[in-house]
Amino acid sequence: MTRIRRLGGAAAFAFTMLLAGTGCAVIPVGGPFPVDDAGSGDSVTVPFQRMLAVAPQPDWGPQQVVEGLLAAMAAYDDDPSVLPKYLTEEARRVWKPDGAITVIDNSFRFGELVENKEKNETVLSIQGNKIAQINEDDTYVPVGSSGDPKINRPITLVKDANGAFKVNGLQQGLLLTDADVRRAYRPTNLYYLNGSSGADPQPDRLVVDRLRLRVDPDKSFAQTIVERLAEGPTSGLQGAVGNEFPEGARVRWIRSSEDRVVINMGGPFNPLDTYTQGLQAQLRASLSSNNLANGRTLEVLLDGEQFFSSGPLTVPANLPESWLGSEDKQVFYSSGGAVFVLGSDGEGHPVTGPAGQPSQGYTGFAVSKDRDRIAARSAAGGIWVTRHSPDGRWQESIPGADLTDPSWHRDGSLWTFDRQNGEVIRSHPVVGRGPERVAAPALQGLNVTSLRMARNGVRVAVEIGDNRVQVGALTGGGGNAMLSNFETLTTVSGGDEIVDIAWSDGGHLLVLVQTKAGQVVKEINVGDGETTQLPTTSKRLERLAALGDAILATTEDSNEILEYSRDKQTWTPKPATAVDQPIFALG
Amino acid sequence: MPPTKTRRTRRRTLRQILGGIRRRARRAAGRARRLWRRSLQLQVVTSTLVISLIVVVVLGIFLSDQINNSVIERRQQSAASEAAADRLQIADALTRREDDQAKSSDPGKSVPPDPLDEVMDNIIGTGRDGWKKRYEVLILNVDEPGRSRASGNVNQQNIPEALQQMLRRQAEKFIDRPQRYTEPIRLPGESQHRQTLVIGAIIHVNGSYEVYHFFPFDEEEQMLSNVRLAIVVVGFGLVLLLAAIAYLVARQVVTPVRLARQAAERLAAGKLDERLKVRGEDDLARLATSFNEMAANLALKIHQLEELSQVQRQFVSDVSHELRTPLTTVRMAADLLYDAREDFEPMASRSAELMQAQLERFESMLADLLEISRYDAGAADLDLDSVDIRDVVLRAIADSEALAERHSTRFELRLPNEPCMAEVDNRRVERILRNLLFNAIEHGEGRDVVVTVGADRDAVAVAVRDHGIGLKPGEDTLVFDRFWRADPSRARTIGGTGLGLAISREDAGLHGGWLQAWGQPGEGSQFRLTLPRKAGTDLKGSPLSLVPPEIEMRRTWRGQMTPVLLPATGDGGGHDED
Repeated sequence: MTRIRRLGGAAAFAFTMLLAGTGCAVIPVGGPFPVDDAGSGDSVTVPFQRMLAVAPQPDWGPQQVVEGLLAAMAAYDDDPSVLPKYLTEEARRVWKPDGAITVIDNSFRFGELVENKEKNETVLSIQGNKIAQINEDDTYVPVGSSGDPKINRPITLVKDANGAFKVNGLQQGLLLTDADVRRAYRPTNLYYLNGSSGADPQPDRLVVDRLRLRVDPDKSFAQTIVERLAEGPTSGLQGAVGNEFPEGARVRWIRSSEDRVVINMGGPFNPLDTYTQGLQAQLRASLSSNNLANGRTLEVLLDGEQFFSSGPLTVPANLPESWLGSEDKQVFYSSGGAVFVLGSDGEGHPVTGPAGQPSQGYTGFAVSKDRDRIAARSAAGGIWVTRHSPDGRWQESIPGADLTDPSWHRDGSLWTFDRQNGEVIRSHPVVGRGPERVAAPALQGLNVTSLRMARNGVRVAVEIGDNRVQVGALTGGGGNAMLSNFETLTTVSGGDEIVDIAWSDGGHLLVLVQTKAGQVVKEINVGDGETTQLPTTSKRLERLAALGDAILATTEDSNEILEYSRDKQTWTPKPATAVDQPIFALG
Repeated sequence: MPPTKTRRTRRRTLRQILGGIRRRARRAAGRARRLWRRSLQLQVVTSTLVISLIVVVVLGIFLSDQINNSVIERRQQSAASEAAADRLQIADALTRREDDQAKSSDPGKSVPPDPLDEVMDNIIGTGRDGWKKRYEVLILNVDEPGRSRASGNVNQQNIPEALQQMLRRQAEKFIDRPQRYTEPIRLPGESQHRQTLVIGAIIHVNGSYEVYHFFPFDEEEQMLSNVRLAIVVVGFGLVLLLAAIAYLVARQVVTPVRLARQAAERLAAGKLDERLKVRGEDDLARLATSFNEMAANLALKIHQLEELSQVQRQFVSDVSHELRTPLTTVRMAADLLYDAREDFEPMASRSAELMQAQLERFESMLADLLEISRYDAGAADLDLDSVDIRDVVLRAIADSEALAERHSTRFELRLPNEPCMAEVDNRRVERILRNLLFNAIEHGEGRDVVVTVGADRDAVAVAVRDHGIGLKPGEDTLVFDRFWRADPSRARTIGGTGLGLAISREDAGLHGGWLQAWGQPGEGSQFRLTLPRKAGTDLKGSPLSLVPPEIEMRRTWRGQMTPVLLPATGDGGGHDED
């Protein structure tokens, strides 16, 4: 009896221990415990949808066949096998998908059906507005407001042996609707360096190159981006920027994990000659600005092995601020021929040196990158420069009778356009080099009213007359410097006029337009012409200045500075009065 | 024909190889079977291993099946609900499109984005900065141009044929029940197939839209294969653990049993003081106690028997001694009577002769009894002397000549030329030989008796061969028993006491030698005495064969490959013949 009881006791104890050990619950309760902050999902792909082209059905009418043809064009890059099914033998032979892609708006219509009984043909026209074209280098060129956007694309259809309509005649190249482009393409920023790695000084800023990249279903979008980055910049930046990816560089694969993205490159890399910081910045900025590989370290492999023989090339999760520009947003303004600094208390104080002295002779002030020099256009002619110090004095840097307002380059050179001689002049006051002519064949014979160098020193914006803005780039270095690659950014017509332009960052230009209805401030992406219109104020604006998010304007009547707040979307006045022109360093 | 030969050789070789393998396998199986039969521990461990393996396999399959079902079912349900929600959105958007188309009569107005694009953006999260969804969606409308969409890299070719046909068959019957299909699918741009659940349904709004959802199940598959691996590893570990436990438990039980067996074996070998240790009070302890009691009883009985035997031997010895004195007197009187028999009447004379003869026999019997008693009492000792065995043999033959003549038996002597010196007790060896010769003459039925002497480095041997009726199987050991006779009805013609061979064997044993017999019915018999050259050294073999050479030769001729027979009996039984 005792023994049985003892055994029973032992069994009960064992059972209790078992229950205590397992916690009596399927999912253990308790906590709090620290949780690993692991990222989720795939960081190198983007969600996307695409058109699925279907083969033409025998019972489709002409309009359905043309609609199907448009769908097949939209899906052509993903599946080129369907489109030829819409074409006759002859059309298949003749038609080529190459060349620029024409983008029409979504509200296109089909014209009247014209039947040519002699030829047994039916012609159906696609009528719509061309809104842009996508060039072969992936640049997205919107149709300017001046040109006639209307297009009419006749499509010739014939019946085949089975009585089904087939397309026999169509214009070369692909025709996509805006919806197709939105579906299949992504506006993408790629980043290059503001100089080649061998140059002096070393590149220190990234230059954005805006393009439309097609999402390739067979690879990650990150791979598409890095492959395109390696190919080099678009025509607008050709020869003007540095690229640390050598010609022939390719991406073998990109893999993403919780905390890192591994990029396996191939091609003629020379790790010892590579400007590592530049390569890192290009990769990081190009991926992060497109919301890829966010918060993850990048590891670059070369042919599956470590990039350097001494170790791996890793790109930290965050790009150093300096690459995208973190200039001190010190506000200057000119008033009565003197330059003032806007203090933290809101009051303006004249700058030290002669520039701070009121003088009627100087206008169009510009502050150099290090704020140690101020340039201005003299009423007597010529561009004059003074140092920003008590012992400074005005010195003529570029003589000339009819010059545009000076613009500083970040390398310390001073730029202007000699309207009289129709040429671009630069001088280098810091090293005492005199004025020299810089080739700008695209500007010859044009009425250039303003020339502004971008802060990254690559792009240049010129105002032609008062109705057109062109953006080009400074190509070549040193003595071979040249302004080229000019493309029209915006034009106004019908009595509207452009009042002022100002760079906000390397990729956006602010344009103040005076229309009949009032004033408009446009922030235009110089890459693809994407325009954001800032709300206007009742006060008439006269001059613009911008630095990153900060946008300043002066009013014509009360001569005050208004600052635009992007969050509130309003213009608020600053305490300074009698302001002629707001000034930021460079730009 | 050389090729045939080669083939034959090769075939034979192959057959030999196969035969060798078969033999080895059979041997190994035999060994294993023997091991299995002999080891209780092995039986317990193997049984446990097999049973636990079966249990673990059954349990593992059951568990794995349960986990599979619950995981896959849950995932399928959530996939189905996600797909249903998406289909609702798509149906809603397509309905809106109908409305929009109806409304957009004004050509100048800007066209709103296609609801199909919008709904796809919503479903797959294109518009947001969100992550890519885990599944892909494909909307297919083959009847209308530009009304098909897909997310990601999935395309029309990835739709399982059977699923599409099922949906189309359903649509013909106006059934719109979603269907699912699971198969490994390789999407474009992917390097390998992935287990994918495809859920398909048809939406009928302004046309017929087939909507397919592709849910990759590779993560679930990976998880389940991990679980399966864990079950296999744990199960294997469990089986091993159980086997180890069974081994330990069996060892606890088997070790005492094994000790008991060893003790019993030693007891059987005569070590009567062998006992088991008794630990605790369990069954095994009681077994040990019982064993010990049994051993004690056995020892007691054997001791009693030994004592009894000792008493009997003592009695025989005493009686023999006591009989000698009266017998001497009787003998003296009998001698007188025998000497004066010619003066008696024929009847009395004959009686005196008979009495004389039987008295002689009685005397020799008493002498033999005393000799045996001496051996039993351990009082026999050797009077060693280095002698040439040939001389001893010749003397013994000379002693037997008279008897041989009476039986018209002749001796054939086969003696080596060299002296065969050995350290022996001359008297005892002579007595042995005499006994053997008398025996041969008695059972030789008048045929020749062959006496062979042989010698080698360690031993000398004498074989006495007769050609009488021989020995039946088993009798070659019995002949050395006291008072044994082959045919009890047969009279002793030479007046043997029945103790001669017994004494001879004791004599041989005293020298450290062997006395062995061989015989076959009709072939006669042969007795072989083997003695070490140096008294007391162990014999390794005999210079002479126990089986007569002619018999051996005859066997060989008959093709019987039987090698030299083992010693048929007794002392030298464990030793090989040379």
